[in-house]
Parts: sequence; C-alpha cells; structure tokens
Amino acid sequence: MVGAGAVVAGCASEPAGGKGWMPNQYNVAANWPVQVKGRVPIDSSNPAIDRDDTKCILCGQCLEVCKNVVSVYGYYELPIQNDITCIHCGQCTMWCPTGAITERNEIKKVQAALASADQHVIVQTAPAIRVALGEEFNLPPGSLVQGQQVTALKKAGFDAVFDTSWSADLTIMEEASELIKRLTTGKALPHFTSCCPGWVKFAEYFYADLQPHLSSCKSPQQMLGAVAKSYYAKEKGIAPEQIFSVAVMPCTAKKFECQRPEMNAAGILRGNPAIRDVDVVLTTRELANLLKSNGIDLSRLVDTPYDSVLGESTGAGVIFGATGGVTEAAVRTAYYLVTRQDPPAALLQWENVRGLKGVKEASVELPGVGTVKVAVCHGLRDARVVLEKVRKQQSDWHFIEFMACPGGCIGGGGQPRTSLPPSDEVRKARMANLYKLDGTAVKRASYQNKEVMDLYQKFLHAPLSEESESLLHTHYVDRSHQLKPKEKV
Amino acid sequence: MSKGVLVDITKCIGCGSCTVACKMWNKLEYDQNVSSIGETAKLNDKNWTVVTRTSAQDSKGQAVWRFAKQQCMHCLEPACASACFSRALQRNADGAVEYYPDLCVGCRYCMIACPFDVPKYEWSKAAPLITKCQLCSTRVAKGEAPACVAVCPTGVMKFGDRQELLQEAHQLIRREDLYLKTVYGEKEVGGTCWLYISDIPFDQLGFKSGLGSVALPSYTHSFLKNVPIIALGWGVLLTGMSFYARRRNELAKARQERLAGKNGEGDADADDFDEEA
Amino acid sequence: MQTTSMKRLELFGWKFTITPARKILTIIAALSIGAMAIRLITGFSLLTNLNDDWPWGLWIAFDVLTGVALAGGGYSTALIVHILHRDKYHPVARGALLTSLLGYILVMAGLFLDIGQWFNFWRPFVSWGHASVLFEVFWCISIYTTIQVLEFGEIVTEKIGLRLHRFFKKILPVLMIIGVVFPTLHQSSLGALFLIAVHKVYPLWWTEYLPVFFLMSSFFIGPAMVCVESALAGKFFGHKVSLNVLTGLARISGRMMVLYLGLKIYDLIERGQWQLAFLGNLEGNMFLLEMIAGVALPIGIVFSRYGKTRKGLLVYGVLTSGGVILNRMNTVFTSMVSYSSGAYFPSIWEFIVSIGLIAIGCLLYSFIVENFNIFDHHPSQPKDENTKNLSA
Repeated sequence: MVGAGAVVAGCASEPAGGKGWMPNQYNVAANWPVQVKGRVPIDSSNPAIDRDDTKCILCGQCLEVCKNVVSVYGYYELPIQNDITCIHCGQCTMWCPTGAITERNEIKKVQAALASADQHVIVQTAPAIRVALGEEFNLPPGSLVQGQQVTALKKAGFDAVFDTSWSADLTIMEEASELIKRLTTGKALPHFTSCCPGWVKFAEYFYADLQPHLSSCKSPQQMLGAVAKSYYAKEKGIAPEQIFSVAVMPCTAKKFECQRPEMNAAGILRGNPAIRDVDVVLTTRELANLLKSNGIDLSRLVDTPYDSVLGESTGAGVIFGATGGVTEAAVRTAYYLVTRQDPPAALLQWENVRGLKGVKEASVELPGVGTVKVAVCHGLRDARVVLEKVRKQQSDWHFIEFMACPGGCIGGGGQPRTSLPPSDEVRKARMANLYKLDGTAVKRASYQNKEVMDLYQKFLHAPLSEESESLLHTHYVDRSHQLKPKEKV
Repeated sequence: MSKGVLVDITKCIGCGSCTVACKMWNKLEYDQNVSSIGETAKLNDKNWTVVTRTSAQDSKGQAVWRFAKQQCMHCLEPACASACFSRALQRNADGAVEYYPDLCVGCRYCMIACPFDVPKYEWSKAAPLITKCQLCSTRVAKGEAPACVAVCPTGVMKFGDRQELLQEAHQLIRREDLYLKTVYGEKEVGGTCWLYISDIPFDQLGFKSGLGSVALPSYTHSFLKNVPIIALGWGVLLTGMSFYARRRNELAKARQERLAGKNGEGDADADDFDEEA
Repeated sequence: MQTTSMKRLELFGWKFTITPARKILTIIAALSIGAMAIRLITGFSLLTNLNDDWPWGLWIAFDVLTGVALAGGGYSTALIVHILHRDKYHPVARGALLTSLLGYILVMAGLFLDIGQWFNFWRPFVSWGHASVLFEVFWCISIYTTIQVLEFGEIVTEKIGLRLHRFFKKILPVLMIIGVVFPTLHQSSLGALFLIAVHKVYPLWWTEYLPVFFLMSSFFIGPAMVCVESALAGKFFGHKVSLNVLTGLARISGRMMVLYLGLKIYDLIERGQWQLAFLGNLEGNMFLLEMIAGVALPIGIVFSRYGKTRKGLLVYGVLTSGGVILNRMNTVFTSMVSYSSGAYFPSIWEFIVSIGLIAIGCLLYSFIVENFNIFDHHPSQPKDENTKNLSA
C-alpha cells in the first residue's frame, strides 16, 4: 500500500536518461585525468572522410593517430579560424575500430557511369593497389595481384584500364628534370616532392613559407587524368566530355586532390573548364566493395596487361608506392638525364632510402653535378623534424621526399584494413612485393618507358616544355591564414 | 552547493564528441533528419545536446567559425520546474533540473515557460514525453562529470562547483584579452549552472539575449502568493454581499407589501434559495 | 427551424428533435469524435501541426483559453443573480449555468486531448506542483466543474432522483459562493499562465496585469454571450428573454469594459509600450483590432440608443465575444509569432476537433433544453413588471 502510494505520488519514480553506457575510461571521478578521449573533428563537407556518428564509441583512437602520427590535431592554436583542419590522409579510417570513420563513399557515382551507355569510363590504379587489393579477397598481406586486378576491372565494365605507374614514370621525367634545373641553378633547394596530396595540404597549412621548395609537378594521378582527357582522347578520337575518369588509389586525400579547383588542365586545354581531369577517386577498399558487389572474385582471375597508351610501366614507376620509392626513381632518371648513361647497380637497389625508418638520409654522386643529399620522410610527425631544419636553414639536403602515411602509399588511408591498428608487418609485406616487382622488371628507370617517350614525341615535346607545364604542373595555395600553428606542442 | 559547467567557446573545434557521449549515456536515437552537429543542428527529443556552427567575425574582422554547445542550462531557479503542475521537473541538490517521466502529464507548459526553449517533446510518439538534458544526474551523484564534459578532447568544458567555476571564469576573462568581459549564465534569469565565456558576442552564436537577471518563477510567485488571500477574502466578501443583498431585497419587499397593504403570501418575491417550504 | 422537416425522437421519456441543423452538427461531432480517438491512440504527429516551436496550438488557445472565457457567463450571471440578488436577471441564470457547465466539460475534453500522457491526467491530484499556475488552474477547473454539476443537480433532480432535490436546494447558496470564487481564481490564472513567458509574449499583451485582464474580460463576456445565446435560443427554441433584462446585463458588462479599456490604456502608457500599437505591424494591427472592434465599439453600442434594441444587443454580443476570442488567440499566437522561429497553422483535424467539441456542446444543450426546465424557470410568479421594479 505504502509502495503503491509512493509510486502514485511520484516519490518512487526515476529521472529520465542515464540508461546507456560509456567507455570505461570516462567513468571516473571528474578530478582524474583521462588520456585517450574524444575524437577528431570532421567537417560534414569533407570531400574525403566521412563519419557515421551512430557507430562512434569515443574510443579516442582517431585522435591518437591524427595527433601522434600525422601531427595535425593538436598542432594548431585555439580558437580555430574558419576551417576544420584536415589533410584528408585517412589514417583515422585505418584506426577506427568500429568503422565509423570511412572514406566518403563514391561507389554509386562509378556504378552510374559504368551503367551509362554514352560514357567512356577509364580507370587507373595506383602502384600500391596491386600489393594490397588481394588482402580484401583473403590473400596473404602484400600478395601481388597486378594482372588479376586489370582483369577484374575489365569484368566490372571499365572501358580502359591504365596504370598510375605509367604516369609515375611521367612524373619522374618532369620532376627529375626540375630537380636538375634546381641543382644547376641552386634555387629552391631542397626540392620537396609533391605527389602526396596529404603532404601537400599539410605543407600549405603549416609550412606555407616553404612553398617555393615544393615541386610544381602534379601527382601521377592528376598527370594521368590530364593526359587521358587530352592525349588519349585525341589518340582514340573520343571527346574529353565523354570520358569518365576513375582513379583507384590507396589514399583518401586523392579524393580531395581531384576536387582541387585547379585540377582541370585538360578542360582548360579543351576550352571547357568544367571538365575535371579525374572525375572520381575510389579507395582500394571501395574497389574491393565494387568488385564484390559484382560478384567478381579477384583471386580466381587470370592476368591481363594494362591498356595502351597509358599502361606501360617501369620498376621505377612501381616503387612509387613505397616510402623512398619516389626518391629512388627520381635519382635513377636524374642520373641518366645528367650523364646520358644508365644508373649503376647500386642505384637500382638503394637500400638507404628503403625501409620503415621515420627519416632516412642518403647521398648520391651525380657526375657533373656533385653530391646530392636526400632525405625521405613518411608519417608527418617525423617530417616536422626535417621541415623545422629546412625552415631554420640548418639543412644541407637537396631533395626531400614526403609521404603523409607511414610506409608511403602502401600504408595509405584508403588501403584494406588488414590489421588493426595498421601494422608494420603488413606494410613490410606490401613493400617487399613492390620491390620484388621492380627487381624483376626489364625496365628499371622511367626514361625507358616507351609509352611515356611516345607522349613527349607526339604531344608534349619535352619535359618542362610549355605544353608539359600547362598540363603536368600545378601551383599551391597558402592556407596559413586558416590556422595558427602551435609554437610548441 | 550547486554544481556547474564552465564552457570556453574559444576552445571548441566542433568534433561533436559531447553529442555522441550524450547519445550513448542516455541511450538516445540518432535523428535521421535533424543533425546534432553543424549549421543545422537543433535540439529535439533525440538531441539533448547539440553543437551548432556559426560563421562570425572576430575582433580583427577575420571570418571565423565558432561552435556553441547547447543543452539545458540548469537554471538556479528553473522556470520549467516552477511551471510543472505535477512535479515532473525538479531541481536536485547538485543543481541538476531533472525530469521524472512517470509524473509527466504531457501538457508542455514547461516548453512555454523555458526561456531557453530547451524542453522538447516526443511528437512522433503515441504517448509523448518531454525530453531534456539531465546533467547526467546519476553520474554527478557519483562525483563523475556529465558524459559530455568527460569526453571533450580540447577541454572546452570544466565541471565543478558553480561558485568556483564562476570565479575562475572571471579571472580568465580579466587576464586574457581574447575574451569578452561577460560570463553568460552568471545572471541570466537568475543564474544557470552552465556558464559560458567567448570571444564572439553571445547573441551572434545563437544564445538568447535580453533575458535579464530576474528569475522567472518570481513572476508567477508574485501572482500565486496572493491567491489564497484573495480566495478567502473574496469568499467572505461574496457571502457578505449575498446576505446583504438578500436582506435588502426582503426589506424592499416588506416595504412594498406595506405600501400595497397586502397580507399573507409572503414568499412571492423571494429568490429561489428560500423557496423551499 | 421549419417544423415540416422536424422529427421528434422519444425514448424512455427523453425527447430529442431532429432538425437539419442538428443532423449537420451530429455529423461534425461524429467526425471529431473519430479524430479524437485517433489522436489519443496515435499521438499528435498524425493529426496536428504542433511542433517544438509551437507546443501550444489551436486546442489550447481555442478549446481551453477561449472556452473557459466563453463559459465565464456562468459565474458572472451567478454573481449578479445569486450573490447580488439582482432578481430580474433570473430568467437567464439557468441558461447561463447550462452553457457554462457544458463549456467547462468541453474545456476539460479539450485539455484531455491536448495532454500527451492523457492516462496520467490525474497525476497533479497526488503530485503537487503547487508553484505552478497551471496547478491552480487544474484544481480550480476540476472543483468548479464539480460544483457546476452539483448546481445543475438542482435542475436535474426536478426530473429524476427527485428525493435529492431538497438536498441540492439546501446546499445551493454555498455552492454558489464557491462557484464564484473558483472561476474568479482560474479565469485570472489563465492569464497568469503567460506571466512566466515574459520573453516570449509580445509586450502589447505581456503585462503583470495579465491575470486582471483575463478576469475582467471573462466577466464581461458573460452577458455578451447571454445576448448572443438569447438571440439564438429565441430563434431556435422560441425562448425570448425580455429586452429589459438583456439591456441591463449588457450595461453591467459595458461598465466593466470601460474599466478594462481604461486599465489597458493606463497599463500601456505606464509601461511605455503604447507606441507598439501603432507600428503598423501584425502585432500592432491585431491589437488595435482587438481593442477597437472588440472593446471600444461594443461599449459605444451598449451606451447608445442602439443598445436598447435586440439587434444592437446581438451586435454588441457578437463583437464582445469576438473581441475576447481574439484576445485569447492574440495572447497565444500573435504575441509569439515574432519570437518563434518555426511556423504553425492548425491542421484541418485540429479545426475539426475544435468545431466538433462545439457541435457536441450544441447538441447537449439542445437535448437538455428539451428535457429539463431551463428557460421557463421562474423562482417567483413570472411577473416581469414586478422584478423590474425591485431592481430599479
């Protein structure tokens, strides 16, 4: 009776809320610190990264990687300006244990293009895809599936399958020429690589003062995109408007890169600036989903070669996918450009720039130029050490390679989530197979790529020519006003 | 002693951890149509707290984004609780204004009364209830910070004793040029447990302005306190008037009878009260 | 009504005449009862346009706030007739009581429909939120409706349960006093409900005098409603209240309206807000409409020659009632428009339910008038001359 009375009168009722749960680290008295907490901010209009709040459990791992590996979160002063600082590297998508953070899924756009009868859908695959895609089909980490993935893409309905390693060779032709120009004039040294879009945006945010050091070369993805809608279109007699250009990348920042307003060189050449050089970027994971949804089992397919005229590659173009690969490839061709001789064997197996050490240093003797000192950084927290030295003019490097993701593209934010958190074992396995592919290749340096040479002969004339500059080179944005870098972290 | 939360708007990066924490701890659904973070974020029955994004200009005229966390302000003298006629809203000893669903009738007077428009209604449900932030009263009772405060990675929010937080806020805004020299929630409608400091004027960030420092229940109280006296006085007056009027009518009738020289049939003009015989 | 189209139902001695108008009312009532059932079962989103920006809509503004005011005729007539013993107004007393009782029952129905946890409606009886104005309103309306039922018991027991009639007659004087005290409280409390929304209600309407204004208007709407009702009852039931009685009532009401208007003007000037009325915006115009058409004009009518004609009194009644309805609508809607960020317009079903409640009221009224002695009740010998002399 008393109990019933209490219930009726409301003395026994309970307040609303508090029926759920929180990760245990948060369930402590308010005066105790919690180390790993919260999550990274992600703008709803972020072109590369998306988050499903319903899956977020506030484990704090995205924040850990963003701060301690990428060195973005926590490296700017509060209050923020009018931007949510993000370099789109996608490492958070690799660490997120519940899969709440993913790439911005664009499979539907590609499916729509494939279904459309009047569009010529081309696709390029980055060097690092061929040693990672197999993992999504239960193959061991690093399995080489280059030929199978071409077959798979053909089966999925792509009209032409091109190799980003081809445009990596093209990049090297341009970038090595640019490097030699800088080495001989002594201007803008050290030379910074520019093929990693995450690194480029990072530099635009935090090291805008060092922008002259950045190579003006576009990344291989954007070079292939620009060439496909100009040179390839001309060769094949297809209107650039009809070409739908897809890039499969190990990277989420590539989604951002292809949407940069200046990435419409082929369109400008055509007189139609609305044409994008690359229309959609899919990550390795998205490609795997696309193939699976089409019932294509990669592991059961035979090999098919890439399509001409943007399909030939050399060992140099392939190792772009690993940290140090760009440096090694650039030096092989630079050696040739200076000496007109093939590089010595040591430069075809340059161990000093290979491996997973955070900052690698090496030097090479270029006859007629002198000693060229190089540094290779992957993971941007390590890059900061190098960059601070350059900023303080305490460095004697001539060439520095930067990759946002640990291990380079093979460890990119768009790669299969084969281990959690991403592990060096997986990275090493992928790298080993890229170098194996290079080691067994007949052509080891970019200047040996016949299809690249054909391009110069028929269309661009020479590296750094006026045509090359307009199609293959770019400029950068000063983003330093969008944040106040922290003096001390 | 009332607890409180001090919010430093300048530290918020808009990650929305707090909104997720609120959903997790209170087992709230995600609204497919109404976001809890960003420009269109809005409090509703599923969103007990939201982080809104506003484009503003800082003191140097530079365009900046600012994020404002919204939730129940937990007034020191809550209008909603005073408006609730079934005690479904009560302020506890920690200062949390708690909602007891069992006691709610669903009249929505609290929504009318709340100067911050915080209580929301489960419009889509068959038997809707009011919903709002509870200041994680069960966590606070254990000495833990509210869920939203606990998860904030940049330390936007600080949980503690309201009085101490208020002092801290004043020290901070005195010391740092960045801040406006006002603490939102210190005086608004008599003071709130949630206190905010900012570098951008609060009204630009969607905070209600012009609320004044008078606690809203006092408007009601100044009316209600007179009710018993008026009721009693009015009753006595009416009784008096009734007797007086009746007597006057009787006298008038008697006079009339005298004038008319009538006799007998005395009840001709009496009203119906004394009609029974 | 045309006698030709009338049909009279009789069942166990209860009479109900079917007329075309009543048929229409029955259809509306049935439709609204269906809508009410759906509302109670499914909640609000299906049938209403209520939302977080407009938690209170047509049902609160019209069914409850306006309903209570319109039903205020009961207590003002009770005050005049039974307390002040102005006996000449007796002929309207029972009609006013009936309207009032039905009004309150419908108000309670409206309230019941508007609360989300309707099965929990009894909660405030045991869980006392005594700091709330609504708590007072809730109790007052509950008690007052009970009182009115008891008051009406005196009429009912004339026909059934005759043994109780003596008991009801005996307690009637006490009931009458309580029956005036409670309406006085809650009529003013309905205005006081909005005191706490000081930042939301437009300053033309928000004033600390809100309770006083609500009380005064609920008092003067009573006679106005009696005038309208008498005109209608005269038409439909052939019951004519003497012009003399109506004029007298209207004048009592008119005096209150003069006081009301004066206090309104004083209040606006005192708060320094009078210029808001002349901004030409929605709020200003609605306020002027309310004050001129709903207060000033009827005052003019009542105290002119026109106020001594049936037609004039009808116009006065319609204007005054309309003015009070407009006042309640303005308080809930117009005054909040500029504050609210969202939009609200009642759905068709909200209208149907509101109109349906009135239809139900009309049907009940008709039924009761046919079956109980409402109009022909004269406590003493029905001599108009006599009563007139008395009150002169």
